[in-house]
Amino acid sequence: MNNSEELNGAQIVLEALKEQEVDTIFGYPGGAVLPIYDAIFGQNFLKHVLVRQEAGAVHAAEGYARSSGQVGVLLVTSGPGATNVVTGLTDALMDSIPIVCITGQVPTHLIGTDAFQECDTTGITRPCTKYNYLVKDVSKLSEVIHEAFEIARSGRPGPVLIDIPKNVQLAKSFYKPRKEISFRPHRIKSGSIDISKEFIENLISHVKKSTKPVLYVGGGCLNSGPKASEELRKFAELTNIPVTTTLHGLGCYPGNGKLSIGMLGMHGTYEANLTMHDCDLMINVGARFDDRITGRLDAFSPDSVKFHFDIDKSSINKNVNVDFSTNTDIAYALSAINDYISSNNIEFNHNQISNWWNQINEWKSTDCLKYEQGEETIKPQHAISRLNELTKNKNTIVTTEVGQHQMWAAQYFQFNKPNSWITSGGLGTMGFGMPAAIGAQMANPEALVIDIAGEASFLMNIQEIATAVQYKLPIKIFILNNEYMGMVRQWQELMHGSRYSESYVNALPDFVKLAESFHAVGLRAKNVSELDETINEMLNIDRPVIADIWVDKKENVFPMIPSGAAHNEMLLSKYDEEKPENQEKGKVLV
Amino acid sequence: MSDASVYPEPNNTFKHSKRNVLSIIVDNEPGILARIVGLFSGRGYNIEALNVTVVDIKENLSRITLETIGEQKVIDQIIAHLEKLVPVHSAINLADLHESYEAEISLIKINYENEDQNLKTLALADIYRTRTVTKKEGIVIYEISGTSERVNKFLDDLNGINGIKVEIVRSGPIGLGI
Repeated sequence: MNNSEELNGAQIVLEALKEQEVDTIFGYPGGAVLPIYDAIFGQNFLKHVLVRQEAGAVHAAEGYARSSGQVGVLLVTSGPGATNVVTGLTDALMDSIPIVCITGQVPTHLIGTDAFQECDTTGITRPCTKYNYLVKDVSKLSEVIHEAFEIARSGRPGPVLIDIPKNVQLAKSFYKPRKEISFRPHRIKSGSIDISKEFIENLISHVKKSTKPVLYVGGGCLNSGPKASEELRKFAELTNIPVTTTLHGLGCYPGNGKLSIGMLGMHGTYEANLTMHDCDLMINVGARFDDRITGRLDAFSPDSVKFHFDIDKSSINKNVNVDFSTNTDIAYALSAINDYISSNNIEFNHNQISNWWNQINEWKSTDCLKYEQGEETIKPQHAISRLNELTKNKNTIVTTEVGQHQMWAAQYFQFNKPNSWITSGGLGTMGFGMPAAIGAQMANPEALVIDIAGEASFLMNIQEIATAVQYKLPIKIFILNNEYMGMVRQWQELMHGSRYSESYVNALPDFVKLAESFHAVGLRAKNVSELDETINEMLNIDRPVIADIWVDKKENVFPMIPSGAAHNEMLLSKYDEEKPENQEKGKVLV
Repeated sequence: MSDASVYPEPNNTFKHSKRNVLSIIVDNEPGILARIVGLFSGRGYNIEALNVTVVDIKENLSRITLETIGEQKVIDQIIAHLEKLVPVHSAINLADLHESYEAEISLIKINYENEDQNLKTLALADIYRTRTVTKKEGIVIYEISGTSERVNKFLDDLNGINGIKVEIVRSGPIGLGI
C-alpha cells in the first residue's frame, strides 16, 4: 500500500489487520459498521466468518486464539452488537485470552443523544476488557489498532476493544505502518525477561531439601507458549517432581507422562489434592490459586514453602500468601532455570522423594475416577473414555461447554499436548463450547475439533450450528444428554436436600432432527451397545455432527471437594459417608 | 445502618482497616478516572477523597490522589491492579512510605447572626491562621490548608459556636513522598 495515499478509517482498519497478519475475523454486520464491512467486501486476505449472534463471534475468537496462540479478532456493530459480546469479553479477561474486538459506534456528533443503536460501549466494557478505546480522530486509528494488538498479547493476555464511530470509519487519513509507531513503554505491560540468579539458586536449594515437592501448573504456562511446556517437562523430569495441573493447565504436561498426577481442585484427583495438601514444597507455575483449586483457604497446603511464577503481579499473594515469587515470563524463567541446572551440572537425588512417590502411588491406587458401567445406560464417564480411546491417534482439539460434562471431559479425556483443550474456566460460560470449536476449526482446518457438551449449555448458543454448516466446518458436538443442568442438580442434591428447583431441562428438542434442519448430521446413542458405533460414525463424517448421547440422568461428578472444605476432606463418591463439617458455611460459597 | 445510605457504615465494615492515601500518575485521557474508580466501586469500597489535576502538560500526565479506608491486603491488591492499567505510570500508597507529606486546602463559608458569633469565629480563624478570602455583612469565607487532621480540628471547633451556619468545600488530601 502506498503510504502517501489517503484512506478512509475502514480501509485503515483493514490495512492494520493485514499488517498484524490477521487472516480470520468473526463478526456480524450492522448499521454502525457498514463502512468496515464495505472494505471487507473488496479484499481477499481476510476471511470473514459470519456468526449468528455476536456472543458466537467472541467465543469463536477465543477458540481461535487459544488453539493457535494468535490474537483472535471480531467485528460487531454498535448498541446490541456491543452488549452481546460483554459476556465473552469477560470470559476472555478471566481466562487471559488475547482478543481484539472492533465495535462500530454511532457518529461522534450523535454520541450521547440516545441515538439509534447507541450505547456507552467503552463504559460498559471498561471492567471486562484489559483496555478499550473510543477513537474519535481517524489520524490516531492506525496507532490505536497496533497498540491494541500489542496490549492484547503482552504480559497477561486479555481482550481489548476498539470502538470506532461511523464517521471516523469514513473520514480520511494516512495509514501509519507499525514500524513507524513507537509504543510508550508504560502502556505495554510485558512480563519481565529477567530472572535473578538468587531466585534460581534459592529454588534449586529448596528442591534439593524437599522430600515432598509438587509442581502445580496452570494456564499461564499455556499462555507463555509451547516452549514453556517443553521447559516445564524438562524441569519436572530432571527433578522427578509430581505434576498436577489446573483445568486450564491440562496438556502443559502430558496427561500420560509418568510424573502426571492429574488435575487438582474441586473435581481433581484424590492423589493430586492430597499431594497438594501434604507437600512441603509447592512450585506454582502460572496458576492463580483460584477458589476452585484451593478449597478452604485456611487449610490449604498448610506446611509447604510456596514458589509462585506469574507474569501478573496482582496474582501474587492475592488468595494465598507465597514465600517466593517472580513475574518473569514462564518460558524464559524455566529455561533459565534448566540452563542453570545443566551448566552447573546440578543433579537431583530422586531417592530423596521415593517415599513421597510411594505415598502418591498409594493414593493413586484408590482409583478415584473409577465408575461402574452397566450393560444398558451409558455412564457419562464411559462416553468420554470411549471418545478418548477412539480419537487417540488423531490430532484432536476438545472444547467444552460448562457443567458436569466439562468436568468429566477434564477427568476422562487425556490431554498430552498444550493448546488442545479449550474451556471456559474462570467465568464458566455456558454456550462457550460450540462457537469456540468453530474458532478452533478455523485456525486448525486439519484438526478433529470436538465440543463436549451438555444439552443445556448447547442450547445457549445453538444458533451457531448454522455458522459451522455455512463454512463447512466439520466440528463434532458430543452431547452428554442427561436432561438436567447436571451441575446445578448435583449441588442441589448435595447442599439443598435434593430439591431440584428449576434444574430439569423440560421440552428438549430432538437433537437429531434439529441437526438435520440445520443441514448438519444428527446421530444418537441410547445405550452402551450403540456408543462406539455412534462415535466412529461421527468421526467418519466430514461435516458438522451433533451426536446426542443419552447418559445416566443421576450421575454426579466425583471426586469432589465441596465448597468450604479442605483438600483432605474430599468426597470420593456418593457413598462417601464423610460429609465435611463446614457444609453450612460452604453453602454460601459458589 | 445509617439512614443516609443503603451500604453498611464504613466504620463497621473496616474495623481493622487504616487510612490510605494513594498517589497515582496517569496519562491524561478520557476514562482513566473511571478505570481507577471502578477498581474501588467494583469491590464495594468507598473513596473518601479524590483529587485529579494535570501536572505535566508536555507529557500530558495527571496526578490522582485518593483517600480510601481498607485492609492492607486489599489495598496492596488494588495497587497491583492500578499498576496493570494501561494508562498508569505509577501507583504508590503514601501510607507505606517511610517519609511522606500531605496537605489539603479547604474553603469554609460562615454565616453569622450576631457580633458574639463573629468574634468567636474570628478568634478561631486567628488561632488556625486561616486566610480571609472575603468578608461581607454576616458572611465570611476562610481558606485553611494543612493536614486533613488540622482542617478537621478547625471544623470541630467551629461546631462549638452556636447558631452559625457553615458550608465547606475540601480538596481532599494531596501528598508527596520523599
